[in-house]
Amino acid sequence: MSLQSIIENSLLLLILIVIVVFLSGCWDRQEVNDLALVTAVGFDKKADEKIELTVLVFIPKGGGSQQAMDNSSSEGGPQTLIRSAVGITIADAMAKLQEKLPRKIFWGHTDVFIFDEGLAESGIAKHVDFIMRHPQLRERGQIFVSKQKAKEVLSLLPPLERDLSEVLRELGQHKLGLNITTKTLAQMLRSDSGDCALPWISILPPVEAKDPKQTIAYITGTAIFKKDKMIGLIDDSLTRGVLWLRDEIQLAVITIKPPHTKGYISVNLLQAESTLIPKIENGKWKIILKSESNSDIVQNTTNLDVTNPAVVKLLEHHLEQATEKRINLAREQVQKNLKADIFGFAEAFHRKYPDVWNKEKDRWHEIFPDVEVTFKTKNKIRRQGLTS
Amino acid sequence: MMERGKISPVQMALLMNPAISATVLLLVPAITAKQAHRDLWLSPIWASLIGFFVVFITYQLNKLYPKETIIEYSEQILGKLVGKLVGAVFLLFYLHITGIIVREYGEFLSGAFLQHTPIAVIIGTMVLVCSFAVIGGLEVIGRASEIIVPIVMLLYLFIFILLLKDLEIENMFPIMEKGIKPSLMGSIVPQSWFSEFLLISFFLPYVKNKKKGMKWGMISVISVMLLMVLTNMMNLLLFGNLTPSLTYPVMIAARYISIADFLEHLESIVMAIWIAGTFIKITVFYYVLALGTAQWLKLSEYRPVVLPLGFLVLLHGLWSARDLQELSHFLATSGAVYILSVQVVIPVILLLVAFIRKKVQQRKGSLQNESPINH
Amino acid sequence: MNLRRKIIKFFAETMNIKEHSSSPSGDHPVTDKDPLSIHVAENVITLESIYADCSDVMFRHFLIGNRTKAVLIYIDGMSNIEEIDKNMLTPLMRQEIETHFDVRTILEQALTVSSVKEIKTLEDIIKEVSSGNPVVLIDQQLQGFAAGLSKWEKRSIQEPSAESVVRGPRDGFIETVSTNIVLLRRKIKSPHLKTKTINIGRYSQTEVVIMYIEGIADKTLIDEVQNRLNRIDIDGILESGYIEEFIKDHPFSPFPLILNTERPDITAASLLEGNVVILTDGTPFALIAPTTFYSLLQSPEDYYEGFIIGTFIRWLRYTFLLVALLLPSVYVAILTYHQEMIPTSLLISVAKSREQIPFPALVEALIMEITFEALREAGVRLPKNIGSAISIVGALVIGQAAVSAGLVSAPMVMAVAITGISSFLIPRYSASIALRILRFPIMFLAGTLGLVGIMLALLTIIIHMCTLRSFGVPYLQPLAPIRKSELKDSIIRAPWWSLKKRPHWTGDYNKDRQPNGQIPSPAKGNE
Repeated sequence: MSLQSIIENSLLLLILIVIVVFLSGCWDRQEVNDLALVTAVGFDKKADEKIELTVLVFIPKGGGSQQAMDNSSSEGGPQTLIRSAVGITIADAMAKLQEKLPRKIFWGHTDVFIFDEGLAESGIAKHVDFIMRHPQLRERGQIFVSKQKAKEVLSLLPPLERDLSEVLRELGQHKLGLNITTKTLAQMLRSDSGDCALPWISILPPVEAKDPKQTIAYITGTAIFKKDKMIGLIDDSLTRGVLWLRDEIQLAVITIKPPHTKGYISVNLLQAESTLIPKIENGKWKIILKSESNSDIVQNTTNLDVTNPAVVKLLEHHLEQATEKRINLAREQVQKNLKADIFGFAEAFHRKYPDVWNKEKDRWHEIFPDVEVTFKTKNKIRRQGLTS
Repeated sequence: MMERGKISPVQMALLMNPAISATVLLLVPAITAKQAHRDLWLSPIWASLIGFFVVFITYQLNKLYPKETIIEYSEQILGKLVGKLVGAVFLLFYLHITGIIVREYGEFLSGAFLQHTPIAVIIGTMVLVCSFAVIGGLEVIGRASEIIVPIVMLLYLFIFILLLKDLEIENMFPIMEKGIKPSLMGSIVPQSWFSEFLLISFFLPYVKNKKKGMKWGMISVISVMLLMVLTNMMNLLLFGNLTPSLTYPVMIAARYISIADFLEHLESIVMAIWIAGTFIKITVFYYVLALGTAQWLKLSEYRPVVLPLGFLVLLHGLWSARDLQELSHFLATSGAVYILSVQVVIPVILLLVAFIRKKVQQRKGSLQNESPINH
Repeated sequence: MNLRRKIIKFFAETMNIKEHSSSPSGDHPVTDKDPLSIHVAENVITLESIYADCSDVMFRHFLIGNRTKAVLIYIDGMSNIEEIDKNMLTPLMRQEIETHFDVRTILEQALTVSSVKEIKTLEDIIKEVSSGNPVVLIDQQLQGFAAGLSKWEKRSIQEPSAESVVRGPRDGFIETVSTNIVLLRRKIKSPHLKTKTINIGRYSQTEVVIMYIEGIADKTLIDEVQNRLNRIDIDGILESGYIEEFIKDHPFSPFPLILNTERPDITAASLLEGNVVILTDGTPFALIAPTTFYSLLQSPEDYYEGFIIGTFIRWLRYTFLLVALLLPSVYVAILTYHQEMIPTSLLISVAKSREQIPFPALVEALIMEITFEALREAGVRLPKNIGSAISIVGALVIGQAAVSAGLVSAPMVMAVAITGISSFLIPRYSASIALRILRFPIMFLAGTLGLVGIMLALLTIIIHMCTLRSFGVPYLQPLAPIRKSELKDSIIRAPWWSLKKRPHWTGDYNKDRQPNGQIPSPAKGNE
């Protein structure tokens, strides 16, 4: 009997469940064409502590392949769409924004977040909370601060890439400026020093004759934050120095003028690695930046013979000096003038001297500007290119 | 016959691994990180000591009563009344725990993926699938885990490898900055998970090669420990100081993978793997519950109780906590004590009593030998 | 209440093959175990009444040695007329025989036929005649005899169309069981290859032959197969598929639990591994028991080409097995629930192509899949000349037209096409049917619960497969339970010189099939 009753029960239960599951519908179903694919988001400061949220939505136009082939390749109308809404918090603004969009906002592909200058100055931590907490947003998205209003930036129509988010993503990956993902930003905000830095973008001036919208925004520097409020800006050449200090440098061209000759030598950086070595001696906090890199000579406008090893040695020496100078300039600006620890000095001290750190950590913002930084640079020139 | 099947010691080890680790990987890294901060990868090592201890005790108990599970020999050790009480404690405990587990599963899926689907459906479908396996019997569970567990392990390692380029080893230092205490404090919650190894007391009677049972039990503990260390390490090296604030660090880690602009958004793969692991875990607990109930009630077959118990488990899942915060708070605080006391303290008492009884009987036996009286 | 009881009874009954306690009496054509009458005329009358209205049964009366009456009974078209004339009628009619003789004398001295058999009962006569063997009944003798001179039109031996290989023998079984036995005997010449014949089917009396290699196959397995075959009680066995359904361990599972093949080389290889083979007269499909899931995914070519290639192709097959099962469901699940998984540019092109489609993804997938299944079924019946033209042109044109009409999207067509092709990678047709059926419930679950649904469905299938046993052998062996020595042959294809042990269902007989150390190397060449 037990076998029969099991069959009885399971049959009935199965039928019940099947009915329940299917008749009441699928709850989480979202058709692709009912979604508004947001590829970039911008946050602008509005009066009364409000935020304007702007989204860049992609329009999948073009129907079936047959139609696209029949018509001419250019399609009337843009590929992207801008919508904005104002709210007290981001989430609030998002709710208001959904009213203006017939399709459901889908954050799953949002790669780029842009804060405008005003918002950056009043503190971004609370907005970063939204990005980290929402289940759909990815922690790999890149964050930027823009000179113009985010809404303006997002309404640009880049000629080369699919849309602006693609442009900014690719530019960020060149690593000519900082490339900060949400996760990195969150980590920086929670780090021992609590200061952070974000890449600074502004709109590239468009070509005269064409449509003023047909241009892109590009990374022109770095925004420096104390805790989560923006306090200053450094330009792109100083940014390179910052990259050296953070061990993030990948692409660089350094030009030196060797003494006693006319002309310049430019080298192309291939690999670089730098480490921070903290030292506390006699109550004085010091950091040594040890960096090693390899470069190739890429342009030689002097009369020097670069195949001569003695010449190369000389060039290397000058190269090291030039690099150090560049780094130092950046450091001066950030450490002494802006007093923001975006290089990770605090962590370095914490790791090496945990007891001292735990005693002194509340005084860090006083100690930091006085930390003495010295350099140990080794810059090898590997090859001289294809001619000599 | 209650359970005709026999499994090999390897199968037992294979099914115990996800039975412990499946839910550990979800919530526990964050709970551990709150206490242990940077030393959270040390905590599983301390916690595994409980695992070894429990395996040892269970094995000793099984040596004394080789063909019986803990429900059955509780009655023998402690006498009918107390034994039945102890059995009831175990059964209610396992019912409660299984409810918690399915609730964790449901919360995760609901919070991260299927937000609008009612939790009852998510939990119900999983319990239903598990009931198929439980009805199939121990051999089916063993075989299914032989297929599923290696694949899950491989995929998990795969994720770790894909993340290698984003891990920063400096996040690990300084080690033991505040001494050993934070990692020990952080190991309390994992300890309650390791004490789940008591489940092998339900399987050892049906294992083919008992001598190897101890060895493979230990291997299983080691594998769970390694898995947890690896997970915690991965989370630490990726997120650094961010780890305590993330609800499901492993999933976010999987979401972070981005290789060649193409291999992205792998969190659904993580979810799929994790469902398979959780399936084994829920099935193991469910099976133990069904088998234990049938043995406690002295039924001849455990299959008829499976479906009703499944329904009970579903209800417990819905009732066990009001919301996710209460659930994780419970697990982090009083839950640990609750679990440890049932799964460690009671078996120790059982073993001691059994030992004493054996000694008493031996002495009785030797007294009888001295005075040859025939009965 | 009533309906429920009926369903349950139905289930319970089909779980066991019940022995029919009594066969319905009456219409049994073969009854008489009576011995023959000594008068041939009486026998002839009895036989003629049994064979009334069978115009193809011939009764040839003749005299042996010009004295004794005898009758030759045969079925026109089933017997070898020339041989009968030359070697039966001629010697008997021409021979000078003494007055007192018996059948044995005739057989030993007069009949120049190689295969003869004495028969004593009417039942035997009918059996022999039905098999095409001519029977001679002699007056004043209690016995008659039958000569094994059957001959009928049969197909020539060709390569089976559904199981062709690039490298390997090109013979295939045909519908005559004696020829099939010969094909196997030629591959396995040892006298340990045994054949046991039984007849199943009340009306069809189909000859079913059990073959196994004594000393390799497990005795309990052989006995079990025989028991199960003996329990079958049915009107007629027309195809081995009937037998298969009667002796399966799990009648309700979609997975094939007994292998069927048309190829003698697969059959012979299975015999050497300790399997039992069931040959059925009237069909070229031999049954091989027991079988595991992996046998269903193996093609004989794996073993003929080198082991590296074999391993590679095997992995390809396993991958595409998963693809065939899961691709449409994964597609639907991702598009409907997990859009963030697709890389952005791909998602955009998919979204573009789906703009005009009126159906949700699940419905679209179902329409496409069902249409594809219908096309496949129809394709089986297309006449050969038109078949290929229609498939190529039709598929292209229909597919293209559907896409541009906005009924389905191009990515969906792609997905369905790839699924179709992957299911052709599975060598055994019975396994691919199982997968085709399973695809649909998984699609439903995918459309309802997304990837979660797919995982749940997969888990259910795995659980189901774990409960299956084929003649006592767990279906998923050697992966579950793990047997190290057999893993070599399922996950990869280890070279022949390393497959030293036979698979475990041979019991404990004869484990080793090859001695160690047979890997070829230059050093051995000079020995």
